[in-house]
Amino acid sequence: MNTTKKRLSKSVIIGLAAIILPFGAQATSDTPKDMHQLYEDNCASCHGSDHGGYLAPALNSDKLKGRSPTSLRSLIMTGSFDTLMPPFYGRLSDDEIRGLVKHLQSTPKQANPAWTIDDIKASIKVYVKDESTLPAKPTYQINSMDDVIGVAARGKYGRGSGSKAVFINSATHKQIGEVPTGTAAHIIDYNPANPRWAYVKTDTAEIFKIDLYSMQAVRSVKTGYNGPGMGVSRDGKYIMAGSFVPHNAVILDADTLEPLKTFELEGIDPDGKMVSSDSGMILGTPFDDIFAIALENAGQVWVVDLKEGFPVTKIEKVGRHLHDAFLTHGGRKLMIAAYDDNIVAAIDLKDRKIIKKLDAGCVPHVGGGAAVEVDGRTLGFGTNFGDCEKTVVSVWDLDKMEVVKQVPVAGGTESPAAHANAPYVAVDIISKDRRARTIQLIDKKTLEVVKTLDVGGHAYFPEYSADGKFLYVSAGYSGDEVVVYDSTSLEKVASVSMESPAGIFSHGRVRYMTRGLSPDEASAPANAPRLPPVGEMKGAK
Amino acid sequence: MRLATFSGLLVLGLASTQSVNAASIYAGQAKAAAVCSQCHGIRTPSADAPFPPLAGRDAEYLKTALKQYRDKTRKSDLMNAIAGSLSDDDINNVATYYAKLKP
Repeated sequence: MNTTKKRLSKSVIIGLAAIILPFGAQATSDTPKDMHQLYEDNCASCHGSDHGGYLAPALNSDKLKGRSPTSLRSLIMTGSFDTLMPPFYGRLSDDEIRGLVKHLQSTPKQANPAWTIDDIKASIKVYVKDESTLPAKPTYQINSMDDVIGVAARGKYGRGSGSKAVFINSATHKQIGEVPTGTAAHIIDYNPANPRWAYVKTDTAEIFKIDLYSMQAVRSVKTGYNGPGMGVSRDGKYIMAGSFVPHNAVILDADTLEPLKTFELEGIDPDGKMVSSDSGMILGTPFDDIFAIALENAGQVWVVDLKEGFPVTKIEKVGRHLHDAFLTHGGRKLMIAAYDDNIVAAIDLKDRKIIKKLDAGCVPHVGGGAAVEVDGRTLGFGTNFGDCEKTVVSVWDLDKMEVVKQVPVAGGTESPAAHANAPYVAVDIISKDRRARTIQLIDKKTLEVVKTLDVGGHAYFPEYSADGKFLYVSAGYSGDEVVVYDSTSLEKVASVSMESPAGIFSHGRVRYMTRGLSPDEASAPANAPRLPPVGEMKGAK
Repeated sequence: MRLATFSGLLVLGLASTQSVNAASIYAGQAKAAAVCSQCHGIRTPSADAPFPPLAGRDAEYLKTALKQYRDKTRKSDLMNAIAGSLSDDDINNVATYYAKLKP
């Protein structure tokens, strides 16, 4: 009884605080400048600093024309169920919300804001001045750095104390560290040449250089306003980052995060129009000293050579609205998805031209992609965002470059996970109803869905541990946990709590290049510990 | 198969449930996931959120509070609207569900 009483009074206090604080704390005026700041501080990381949309819909006068201010106000107050939109009730005052609605309905989409190489340079923050003071080995018990799994925790509001990169030991399923990122972490990459460095990019385009041995950020740089694109070169010396806002990309020194060269992203799209373009995926490859970057709206892939002047080779007419991609054949071939053409284009990074365009279902979003060796064939797996009449996962023969099968699944999908040692390819169902709670498992051999896991929340971004023994899944928005399954029995074995977990990134990725391939696929640095060999390898290199 | 996995999780996730009807917890879980957790979370709300946690709270208290919000004897723009959409059964189910959850 006593405890109940205590809890009751605590709740009353919290409840009161919720009601009184925001209204007591308001000292707002609703000049456009203040409202713009409010937008930047609460909305822009998802809706785009230019009001043009990013992860979330565009919010500008054109887009919101005719919408009732009352319904917009209540949407901001309560958030939108089944999406990442959180409730701002209690965080913003009623006056602020009303002011924002007015501001959004009267502000047109903004011109591409400038963020120059000087801005990037000036934004560098150094948290650890002398890196020689860092410990020489991990300060926690771990058998291999390959066992590190990083989770991009967004935080409920896409910013604040819940936004961080969380690192887990995938042998014990225990958290080994976390690094606050201020705004939602989106992508985690690992340095292929030195296992101690990780790079985390946020939705507001900051990149944190993280020392995994001591689990802290040593430096950060702001590369733009919004955009997830980031890649690390095979020698671990360069990072390339690309933005949605503004339309540019930059090559950084991976050690100091100093910007070396910026690129304006523009070009002639497949319909012959000159356009300025968002940055899509950026990949380094074990195949060569290059970066590949997708220009989403221009439908081009640029190959940047990592040598004096960073020269660019442009591959045009790849597809309409390019987004993400994965590598195959030792990193020589790039499979890139085109949303609006419903294809995946295979590109040869040696010859720097399109090999073939393959059917890819409905609004293909391949996530990190997956490729597995089955019965002498290399099969690629591609997920689809679209919620069309027929929802499928596409399977391609990556040697012959042809469609093998379109596997029917329960809904739209966002990201496939595979591992050489695990029997199933996992895909996340993202359709906005109860199906969003689930992950489906496709048998590698029969290419049929054999099991559906009810994970809870909005389950997405499956990822296998580096040894393939465990399947990690983010229970997403309201689930607030990462759930771990045994990858063969599919029994739940652990859960790790965090706020709005999203992408999951195994350190093993630097070794198998694309998830599902043998760990020897990417030429691993000689000093890295090797995983035990896993079955037969094809001469893909 | 899916149902089996699901109830397995429930049994794992909840403290023992002697006298309580399992169906109501099942329904409560669905309602909580669809309505309450948006602000209050399942086990805990966001660290940055101004909303009180519900997991492990006294079931009778939760029911009384929801009914007061519903008939507007307790005032809150947001909670009056949300509780207004809940039936007596819904209220019993979500209160039972949250009360049985470990925070």
